[in-house]
Amino acid sequence: MRFALAVGTFLILVIHGVILYHQFSHKWEAHQIAYFNQAKAMAKGDAERAALEARSPRIEQTVVADFGETRVDRCTTCHIASDDPRFSTYQQPLKTHPYSLAMGDVQKNGRWERRHKFSEFGCTVCHDGQGRGLSPKDAHGEDEYWPDPLLGAAVQENWRKEFVPMLKGKEFLEANCAQCHTSPGFAGTPTVRRGMDLYYASNCYGCHRIEGLSDGTIGPDLTEVGRKFKVDYIYARIKDPKSVLATSIMPKFNMLTDQDIRALVIFLKSRKGKNFSETEMDRYRLRATGGAELVQAHIKPVQINPAQMARQGEQLVLDRACTACHKLGAKDGAVAPDLTFEGLLKDPAWLDAHFRNPRSTMPDSIMPAFRFTEPEFKAMTAYLSGLKTVPALPSPEAAYKALCLRCHGDKGNGQGPIAEHLDPSPRDFTKAAFMNSKPMDRLVASVRKGVEGTSMPAWERILDDRQAKALLDYIQTAFVKEPRQEPKPRNLPAANPVASSPESIARGEATFVNRCAGCHGRKGDGKGPNSLDILPKPRNLRNAFFLSSVSDARLFDSILYGVQGTAMPSWIDYGLSNNDVGDLVNFLRNLNPKPKGGQNAGTI
Amino acid sequence: MAVNLKRSSGGGTQVAVSRRRMLAWITGTGLVGSGVLSAVSNFVFIKPRATYGQPQRFSIGKPEDFPPGTRIALETRRICVVREGNRLAALSTTCTHLGCIVGLADTGFACPCHGSRFDADGTVTGGPAPRPLPWFKVTLAPNGEIEVDKDTEITPGSYLTL
Repeated sequence: MRFALAVGTFLILVIHGVILYHQFSHKWEAHQIAYFNQAKAMAKGDAERAALEARSPRIEQTVVADFGETRVDRCTTCHIASDDPRFSTYQQPLKTHPYSLAMGDVQKNGRWERRHKFSEFGCTVCHDGQGRGLSPKDAHGEDEYWPDPLLGAAVQENWRKEFVPMLKGKEFLEANCAQCHTSPGFAGTPTVRRGMDLYYASNCYGCHRIEGLSDGTIGPDLTEVGRKFKVDYIYARIKDPKSVLATSIMPKFNMLTDQDIRALVIFLKSRKGKNFSETEMDRYRLRATGGAELVQAHIKPVQINPAQMARQGEQLVLDRACTACHKLGAKDGAVAPDLTFEGLLKDPAWLDAHFRNPRSTMPDSIMPAFRFTEPEFKAMTAYLSGLKTVPALPSPEAAYKALCLRCHGDKGNGQGPIAEHLDPSPRDFTKAAFMNSKPMDRLVASVRKGVEGTSMPAWERILDDRQAKALLDYIQTAFVKEPRQEPKPRNLPAANPVASSPESIARGEATFVNRCAGCHGRKGDGKGPNSLDILPKPRNLRNAFFLSSVSDARLFDSILYGVQGTAMPSWIDYGLSNNDVGDLVNFLRNLNPKPKGGQNAGTI
Repeated sequence: MAVNLKRSSGGGTQVAVSRRRMLAWITGTGLVGSGVLSAVSNFVFIKPRATYGQPQRFSIGKPEDFPPGTRIALETRRICVVREGNRLAALSTTCTHLGCIVGLADTGFACPCHGSRFDADGTVTGGPAPRPLPWFKVTLAPNGEIEVDKDTEITPGSYLTL
């Protein structure tokens, strides 16, 4: 018992001692003592030696308040010789910080003079890392929860091993140079400049917003991306977006090399919200001009030669990352429709308008408006409208696979690979109630003439009447799985019984707000409160292309008798009379001015 | 406690007693040692190794920035740099009375708060200030810049010879 007590207390003493030793003996003290000893050996006079003798190890720190939040940099506690030119050949941490002409350091009378004095700038302004840390792991930001590890040098344990070599290097420091040196011609930040060029050339600006640089709305705002994310995350998000977030809709940009992605990462790392030397004008420039000249300054516009328009257009379509989203031959971005036989589906006027402003021809398109030059758009239009090879379609099944599957899906349920990016969503063929409630003529017309204002193109130049019917038969047997029934003709007014007048439109609006707004929304844009859990989504009634392509009779049919297989009820059961529907139709017609163009403007 | 036990059991053999005594010694040393170490560590913690705020040892620039005859107050650093010929010194500009920033005057320093007056060497010539203004250690750093160490006070009148 006594023995145990003696051993126990002695053990406690030892543990106390060890803890005390760990708490109060620091590596930096050893570094400072080593520095003092070395400096004493180099000292030129007794006074200098005595001054060094009087110094004892202590925490050195620089407090910098000029760059955003106040920084407390204790880096010189270990790197105590960083401003002592005699230590240039020593090993870290007792090594002089290199002098460099590129950094603005100058040599006067054989002595280097720094442009960025450590006492004014500190260390983390350029290098990142955790300025207050006193152990190498903490100070260099190697802890996985520290947001700014030493740029281009420190690696955190959870970083993907295969990316690590691309995340090291002095070029990463340029991201912090660009916090102050924002002028585009600045010679010290070539990689940031290259990344910015790539940001425009790879069309990142189409989807992402960076205040003052771009105003895309599809992807996340990247204004503060450098502050929010670490380099490994940004790298992985560009290299393989879905590896980080399975639901990401960002395409994989295969034409970017690892070096390109690295430059983009360095550029994005330099975007930390408001940069120190940016003016308010810089940030409003984009809003004032739309950014076209900004984009064209970076993408190096191609001089278009009228004789070779189609060939140059092809090169542009390949260079400007169109296939990151669209399918073209063997290249497939799995986000946007197939362009392989675009010349058969759209006319040049439509393509040209769609390039300039995608929503001008397709109201709910997610395609960004790219800011290429006028001749470039013309060349791309010339190339795409020349794609007129009719594909070989030996059977209806082959036709479905080649033309329909990408949107309507291999199960015919409207969940094809790109369906989530299309609005309105592709028709679900497994809803037999819908398929059997529409006359064959209407279905054939949808296939051959397309559906205005949606992504359904007019296939008439690829499928003739017989082929379209065969395709619909295939869909009936493969997906609808119910025998085809031709619907009985419904009792519909031959023409709108109510003449359009302000009173009629007002009555129609009242009915709309009462009866329709729950799903179709107060604005009629199909985004009412009930729309969130309805599939297919309620029709966007502001889609002028669609609205003007359907006849009054079809509107009466859909409203009075409902749309089977969807959430649209039969309003005749809820007491709407022909006159009420007439008012509604007048209201809807009034809501949508007659659009110009459209995919078969000539046939309407 | 171990000692008491040993005394009360008086009739033990010589070997048992010395073993007991040794164990008691070890126990006692352990307890007292732990206590002392804890006390020491507590005292060390009372005085922090680093404080927030501007560093006490800093560089003020090259000697050329202070030509002979200079007498200039660095407001943010709260020091006055004096250069006479090739001799250079740094005086505190924090009043020793209640810590106001003293201003430069023709006769030396004058405190705006309670009227303390100091001569050019920092000696009190009037007012409530209890002590002269301290002089700080000035050294020439290896990179050619002047370093002031506000943690080290030196005897007034000792200059750094450049």
